Amino acid sequence: MPPARLLLPLLALFPGVPLAAATPAYDFFICANINRNYVIGSKIETLNGVYHRTAAGAWEHLGCNDTGLTAVAFDPRDRQVVYTSALNGLWRSLDGGRTWRLCNGWDITEGRDVAVDPHAPDHVYLALPDGVAVSTDRAQTLVRREAGLPDRGKYTQAIKVDRTRAGRVFAACESGVYLTEDGAQHWRQVLPTRETVNDVQQSPHDPRVWLAVTQSAGAWLSRDGGLTWQQLPGVPTDRALYNGTFDVTNPQRLALGSWAHGVLTSEDGGATWTARNAGLPAAPRVWRVGVDPAGRLYASVVQATLFVSDDFGRTWRRDALEGSQVNSFLLLPPAAP
Amino acid sequence: MKKLSLLLFLATWLAVPGGAQPSYSGPVPPPPTDVRPDALRRAYLGRVAETLDWYQSAATPGQPLTREQLLVKLVRRQDAAQVSQRVLELLSGPQSGDMFWMFPWTAVAYLGRDQLTPEARAALRDAWRTYFPMRGDTENHWAMYYTTLYLMAELYPDEPGTTWFTGKSSAENLAEAKAYLIHWLDLATTVGQGEFNPTHYIGEYAIPMLYLAAWAQDPAMRQRGRMQLDWLLADLAANTLHGVLRGPNARTDDTSAIERWNALASYFSWTMFGNTPPPANYGGWGVYFALAAEHYQLPEVIRRIAVDRDHDILQRDRKRSRRRWRYSDVELAPIYKTNYLRRDYAVGSYQGGLADPIQTHVWDVTWAVPDPRGVHNTIFSVHPLSSSQVLQTYFTELPDAMISGLSSQGKPSYDVPDKILGCSPYEQVCQDCDTVIALYAIPAGTRFPHINGYFSRDLRQVTEDPSGWIFAQGGNTYLAYRPLAGYEWQHLLGYRQLTAAGGGYRWERVDHGAQGDRLLYSPHRHNGTIVQAASAAEFASFAAFRAAINALPLEFALDPVPTVKLTTLRGRQIVATYGQPPVVDGVPVDYSRWKLFEGPHLNAEVGSRRLTLTHGRLTRVLDFNTLTVTDQVAP
Repeated sequence: MPPARLLLPLLALFPGVPLAAATPAYDFFICANINRNYVIGSKIETLNGVYHRTAAGAWEHLGCNDTGLTAVAFDPRDRQVVYTSALNGLWRSLDGGRTWRLCNGWDITEGRDVAVDPHAPDHVYLALPDGVAVSTDRAQTLVRREAGLPDRGKYTQAIKVDRTRAGRVFAACESGVYLTEDGAQHWRQVLPTRETVNDVQQSPHDPRVWLAVTQSAGAWLSRDGGLTWQQLPGVPTDRALYNGTFDVTNPQRLALGSWAHGVLTSEDGGATWTARNAGLPAAPRVWRVGVDPAGRLYASVVQATLFVSDDFGRTWRRDALEGSQVNSFLLLPPAAP
Repeated sequence: MKKLSLLLFLATWLAVPGGAQPSYSGPVPPPPTDVRPDALRRAYLGRVAETLDWYQSAATPGQPLTREQLLVKLVRRQDAAQVSQRVLELLSGPQSGDMFWMFPWTAVAYLGRDQLTPEARAALRDAWRTYFPMRGDTENHWAMYYTTLYLMAELYPDEPGTTWFTGKSSAENLAEAKAYLIHWLDLATTVGQGEFNPTHYIGEYAIPMLYLAAWAQDPAMRQRGRMQLDWLLADLAANTLHGVLRGPNARTDDTSAIERWNALASYFSWTMFGNTPPPANYGGWGVYFALAAEHYQLPEVIRRIAVDRDHDILQRDRKRSRRRWRYSDVELAPIYKTNYLRRDYAVGSYQGGLADPIQTHVWDVTWAVPDPRGVHNTIFSVHPLSSSQVLQTYFTELPDAMISGLSSQGKPSYDVPDKILGCSPYEQVCQDCDTVIALYAIPAGTRFPHINGYFSRDLRQVTEDPSGWIFAQGGNTYLAYRPLAGYEWQHLLGYRQLTAAGGGYRWERVDHGAQGDRLLYSPHRHNGTIVQAASAAEFASFAAFRAAINALPLEFALDPVPTVKLTTLRGRQIVATYGQPPVVDGVPVDYSRWKLFEGPHLNAEVGSRRLTLTHGRLTRVLDFNTLTVTDQVAP
């Protein structure tokens, strides 16, 4: 258990979760590419970027139009400070998305994920195809911090900061899940895998609970803060899972996204799983799943669009963001007025 | 989705309306008879002018100029007001094209700096603030991106980050671009180029290097551009026969793998050496080189290396693979490449394994033809690998999507069983002069557990001999192809591009029937191919060649792993066993001793940053350690 003094900020970050929120307790963001048929160099106009779901239900574009935008993170002290991992590396905006700076040089590329430490908000973690880079100065400078990661095998698809403790970070790598407890000075493997771990997520309900989804080993859950992991029964291992999500409105609900299996949901805390693809395109090719502050389940379908479900996958309808492909979903406490 | 851009060339070809292209549609250029420097220079500039003329003539009265056409007008200093207006129009809406956007607009900026109106120049400058071009994910992308970022930062110095899409100041952009370019040159000149000997992508290196040579203000960067252009063109020259690129290469496409002339590389051979026709539309990109070509002078030693085939050339070079992000113990795998060029044919290979995940061509025999246009003058075999994990090794992609998307991104053959393009981790190749032995050990469960042998429609006298050899003739070359396992013949279907709504690519397969190419389909996981080539002039007859081949000692087995013991036509004994270094005349091939370049004309040590070009009495040394070029003429 984290000490009580560390739980206080946690409570501040995740206040009471309504079961059916009339007023969302979180802001909802996605990183979306709207660039169907784009390849590098295409003469296809793109409209990629971070989108914010407004109170009216519209998607507000915050920028930036990097075709390879993978994830977004915000400075918890100042919502105007935005970080996005992207094909070009790491973009940062200090003015809410109006202007951006590429924070890396040529030696960093293809950012896969980005996270900000809520307890050390100057600290930014960047997942890279060749490891992990860290900034301790709001991305003014980036340095490699990879001690403990294997020399080969440190492809990092996702990176998440434990919201309960400064400097406690999980990296989802090619060879497993790695944990640092000292701000990436040292890493150790806590879940070995043969192929890439595609996502790692912390429960919004219980910070000790973590979910990892993998390419060839199904999904895994940790109930002790990521120190030990148990494979979730009933989750297929024959094909890759792309990401996982918790439902912020219901601790029993989880969802997984998969190209081959579509949407898989659990409503009993991960004990049993059901495919929820009725209403999605045939061969659903789900890229990412996410849950919004009201408990609506989203599924981004490759070469189609974003779908949304009001009943946790039993039925689906098309969302307004036509033609989008979502790379990440993010819930944040509402911005200070 | 990100990825690959080869078919942008083709798209450009298709998109450009064209009139007559004299050198494309006319006779094959004869070897130059007047080789005095002034005459060669005039001929070179004549070819450059032909390229520019063609683009200019494609302009339709009353229709807006294309970006290429306005570039030609800037080169020729014509109609600055019209060009300026068109620049404003082209930049008025959302932009696209990433680094393929950057380099044409860099050319506009430089050529137009004293011609465009202030409004046009301001719009062009501002586009580098508002448009977010991707840096891309390949070596050629980065060469274009950083060269043009460098040049634009030099053109607009001392400006703050708020005026650049990177958010970085001119000085920061300049420093970053310079650092990368030096890093890339350092890699290429110490452990070899990654996208080595590309059929098309040579333009994506040669054009940025030309721009650097032409426009960089820093003399050191200008010198680097000039020297690297020499390096690239020398590498092209040494690997061509009659101007057509031969042997293995990191990146090609389904068309150029079999019709070797039909590639942008032939544009560079035509422009530089004048010894082959240019491809249609001057390769699509010819204009981008031509617009600054007057700034480059081809060294005579390179020209002679390109055109002289009086003696056989055995060139052994070291290159490197594309960067491997994961599922590999090495980041940059060494490529050991051999090319053996004779007057009538060329035989080339590298040792097998993965170089680039999609578009590598590993080995072949190609024969010379009087006119290469439309001729499929090659023979080879491949394992048609299709692997999600291999794609993930090289790309930061999730599984599944990339294989699915490749066809719609211009790579129609990646996941088809009859593909003839690409490399495989289950292929091992050894070559000695004009003999190639390719062995395959494909694990059970592999998608497409078979090999494909390519048999051109242009082969003659194809004969399945009772001995197991298949004999054929291509041009003046006799060929012997020995499949080591059973096979059947199939029609090799072609690809026809269809209209695709909303961009992207759609294809249909086309069966050319008995008049088309054939596929030797061999459905055995342990497998192999032996090919030997010889000039027809070396034998009294085709029958004599067949008899000579059949008389050669040959032993082979396929299990537990494929192994071949062969005495070649040249009298060398080769023992090739899958998983082991080949042994030639009792000596194992030691790749660790392979040089960066080793041959009669190009020589460099690994790690040296120093390439020596020689032909006859001429020597040129490109030394990146000192940024010096030294020419010598032996007495």
